[in-house]
Amino acid sequence: MQKLFTPFEKISKTTSTIILVSWIVLLLTLWFVGTMGTKHLFPNPSQVLEGLQGLFNEGLVVHVFSSLQLCFFSIVMATFFALLYAYSFPIPLLKPISEFVTKFRFLPLTGLTYYITIIIHDARNMQIWIMVIFLTTFLTTSLIAIIKDIPQEEFDHAKTLKCSRWEVLWQVIVLGRIDYVIDAIRQNLAITWMMLVTVESIVIASGGLGFLIKNSEKFANAGRIIALQIIILLIGLGLDAGINFLRKAIFRYSKI
Amino acid sequence: MQHNFKETLLYVENISVAYDDKIIIKDMNLTEKDVVRSDVENTGQIIAILGRSGRGKSTFFKALTGLVEPNSGKILIRDFESKEANAAKTVKEGNIGFVDQKYTLFRHKTVNQALKFALRKTTLSVAEKDKKIKDYISKWGLESCVDKYPNELSGGQRQRTAIIEQLFSSDQFIIMDEPFSGLDVGNIEEVKKAIDLLSSTSEYNTLLFSTHDIKLAIELAQSIYVIGYPTINSKKQDYGTIVANYDLREMGLAWKEYGEEHRKLYKEIVHQMMVS
Repeated sequence: MQKLFTPFEKISKTTSTIILVSWIVLLLTLWFVGTMGTKHLFPNPSQVLEGLQGLFNEGLVVHVFSSLQLCFFSIVMATFFALLYAYSFPIPLLKPISEFVTKFRFLPLTGLTYYITIIIHDARNMQIWIMVIFLTTFLTTSLIAIIKDIPQEEFDHAKTLKCSRWEVLWQVIVLGRIDYVIDAIRQNLAITWMMLVTVESIVIASGGLGFLIKNSEKFANAGRIIALQIIILLIGLGLDAGINFLRKAIFRYSKI
Repeated sequence: MQHNFKETLLYVENISVAYDDKIIIKDMNLTEKDVVRSDVENTGQIIAILGRSGRGKSTFFKALTGLVEPNSGKILIRDFESKEANAAKTVKEGNIGFVDQKYTLFRHKTVNQALKFALRKTTLSVAEKDKKIKDYISKWGLESCVDKYPNELSGGQRQRTAIIEQLFSSDQFIIMDEPFSGLDVGNIEEVKKAIDLLSSTSEYNTLLFSTHDIKLAIELAQSIYVIGYPTINSKKQDYGTIVANYDLREMGLAWKEYGEEHRKLYKEIVHQMMVS
């Protein structure tokens, strides 16, 4: 028993499973017991279930699809731009631009939406471009960090094989780190998913999970809000696991 | 054992390398010739570079491979493309192969793809390239690894692949940076075999390696260079240079079982390293 409270102590797989299950049971018990009375801040399980049913009846699947579509378009476009900036990083003339793009991640979302509304009038496109601009800055930062982490030996190895400087860029950075790009997308997925819901609630276009949360908030429907949070969390985790599986399946040499 | 020296294969004259204002190596001179033995078909050149840590061995290797531009001096190697006798050319990036301590390979290429890539600039036809790759893969015991990626290879397999790759791409010169570092007895034997194989494949194959294992250097090398800080006018300098050279062929110690004379040389090298 003392082992469980000792730092760095090794425990068996069975013990760690028991610990995990115990925590989940404790959490669920707290939820059930804590929401048994008539007055409670957090909605009880039956309210969440009720909210979920209501959401299904109002076309939850269509909204999930809309959010996923926005997520997909934004990621594809942002990855394209981020790769352009990241691959320009080793070129001395373009390096400052790439570094400058990474600094944009500190910009607030609200201020930028003002300028985007002036240029783009269609709400859906507006959502996409807000997402693309922000995602590009985060993805470029991750990709440049990956490039900076490549050991000098890998560049020297390519040079000793008579690679020109462009070949070094192609072989070591572009081809040699293509699996890392997928991992960078996966790492940034949490930010993407979080931003997506925010963007959907700021710029109302064709529904989406953010729109549903905003609506539920308006009518103070706590059961629906928690049901949506659970759905968002599960989709996020599913996407994360899916992308990770894809990376391992496509790139046999990938061991990150 | 009878041996003769033929043409010069590697010629290093007064090279110096400095990073910013700090001189790392200075006035390095080295000449290595093709050695031929009457009763052996191929005898490649095996040269060991010894020296204590921080004396500039790695910088010297980087200069030799063209990865670092020397501030002064010249490095020439035999030009095998020229038909003229004793034709030489200045070393450029890629002329001398380099196998680092981690046996770096392209992580996204299988052994077969890596070797094909190494041969891409040669004038061989596709069929000839395939044959050459097959021959080497079989001779170096890599048959089971043809379609494996570096992360699926053992340390020994990685090293052998790295050596062949560099041999295919370079002009028969290879540098190995501490190939024995951190290896167990079995792996050391594997590297020794790889070096023997490299040496017996072509008389022009020239291998330079660094090590901290003086006994191994004496066992394997035909020529040993010690890099250290020189003492000039009773003052020890803070840059590396070649402070001693032992030609084991001329000393009658090369290609022989390790014996008393080798032990004496061991002591002499240790002394040389301690004072520099």
